[in-house]
Amino acid sequence: MATITQRPVGEPGALTAAGLLVPASLFVAIGLLVPIAILFRYSLNAFEPGKLMVDALTIANYVKFFSDPFYLQVLWRTVRVAVACTVFCLLFGFPLAYVLARTQSRFKNLLVMAIVLPLFVGNAVRAAGWMVAFGSKGFINASLMGLGLTSAPIEIMYTELAVIIGIIAVNLPFMVLTLQSVIEGIDRNVEEAAFSLGAPPMTMAMRVLFPLALPGILAGVILTFILAMNAYATPVLLGGPKFQTMGPLVFSTFAQQNNWPFGGAVSFILMTATLILTVASTLIIRRRYA
Amino acid sequence: MMADGRLAGRVALYGVAWATLGFILLPLIFVTWLAFFAQEIPSFPPEGYSLKWFGAIAANRNFMTGFSTSLQVAVAATVIGLLLAVPASLMLARRQFLGGAALNQLLLLPLVVPGVVMGTSIYVFQIETEIATGLPILGSLGGLVAGHTLLVIPWTVRLVTASLAGLDRAAEEAAQSLGANQWTTFFRVTLPAIRPGVVAGALFGFVTSFGNLEMSLFLVGPGRITLPIAILQYLEWKIDPTVAAVSVLQILLIAVAMVITDRYVKLARVV
Repeated sequence: MATITQRPVGEPGALTAAGLLVPASLFVAIGLLVPIAILFRYSLNAFEPGKLMVDALTIANYVKFFSDPFYLQVLWRTVRVAVACTVFCLLFGFPLAYVLARTQSRFKNLLVMAIVLPLFVGNAVRAAGWMVAFGSKGFINASLMGLGLTSAPIEIMYTELAVIIGIIAVNLPFMVLTLQSVIEGIDRNVEEAAFSLGAPPMTMAMRVLFPLALPGILAGVILTFILAMNAYATPVLLGGPKFQTMGPLVFSTFAQQNNWPFGGAVSFILMTATLILTVASTLIIRRRYA
Repeated sequence: MMADGRLAGRVALYGVAWATLGFILLPLIFVTWLAFFAQEIPSFPPEGYSLKWFGAIAANRNFMTGFSTSLQVAVAATVIGLLLAVPASLMLARRQFLGGAALNQLLLLPLVVPGVVMGTSIYVFQIETEIATGLPILGSLGGLVAGHTLLVIPWTVRLVTASLAGLDRAAEEAAQSLGANQWTTFFRVTLPAIRPGVVAGALFGFVTSFGNLEMSLFLVGPGRITLPIAILQYLEWKIDPTVAAVSVLQILLIAVAMVITDRYVKLARVV
């Protein structure tokens, strides 16, 4: 190919190449990496009410977080909700991903669109949908009372259950699409082989499908876990003001209390906790199936 | 006996799969339903149906300016994002060089950094830049567009590199051997061939930017909120058919973007 022209086609000289690559790379590096570094530096500063941020080099903000039961409670609640959501996303997402991956239907594209659309519609709009269902006069309570199953409305809004249901619905599309792409790469014949050797469907799934789909399961679990840990709109709208999780805590510390050093520290604790738990779950899943 | 087991397995599989799909769509169905209620209070069963709430949107200043801000920001961010990301994708897909994989990861990074962390980081960065330069950045349209451009870049890189990977270079070689220079070859041969990837990247970037909430929360200024933030603030106060009607319009806008994307690139292959 290089013999046709002096330079391989589509591969301009080093200068042009740099000119094409550098702007985007610089934009992301300066626009995202530098800000994250500044945020970390902020988290080591001190905060004095009235003077806001004071230059310092201290871990006081991190100590404050880990020595206060209130903040530890918020972190624990966030982790608990995120783990529950991730487990349910995997359990419910896998069958749909499998059907989607194996279907020969000419409506497959329509199915994919039905899963992608909610993904892009935004979390606030989807939380609004659940608010219609969960309210004291909402769909669920009206149906239960109409059927005579309960005499008074049951509390769903502003509970942990509401938040978990909301986040599961938000994260399911991510899980399904990740799993689907991996399952599509698994040869159907290995499933048939397991069946012809007498494996019941669950055994086939556990012993053949899951181990082969492991990379996709890992990717899906990590993605949904990160999203659940960092959820904002869903806990704010479905959990109410008293239901504190890490995402809303970061925002209120920054925007309402103007405590940037502590807000920075909370951001980094959230990021680190997410990272540690992601690595831990990766190891557990690997050991279970590998 | 064994066939029974497989049949039961299939029934269970499809049952769970369809229930899950219904569960994913359920909030959109509820919010659409509410938008057509006759009464203002979201109580069931509805007292009747009405279209009046779609008219009520126009009376709400936050929704109107929010829509216009979101639209401006998403269009500007998509254009800038494409100008930055398409050339970079061209290099990443075509050239092997030291650190190429790392650069690819860097450009995809905004996709994996959580929204709240991106928001706080860019917020403090804009404050520092404001102090250093004296320019009003935080809360400005420019500052918002810069943040949103970060959301567009990874989608464009992902979709354009994917469409370049499947491209035969023979046409480009032919163009060059016939005397076309690099630029002519790019605009007349390469760009038309990767158009599906560019269009899909642009639409995904646009939709991501338009729907972004977590990062924008930190970057908006007084009097300049985006539509998702307007919806969030309204919902923190109350839920009624007006906010549901706005939600329906957003769902429709995004559905149209999806259908257009699907005409260029089969969604099943790119997400």
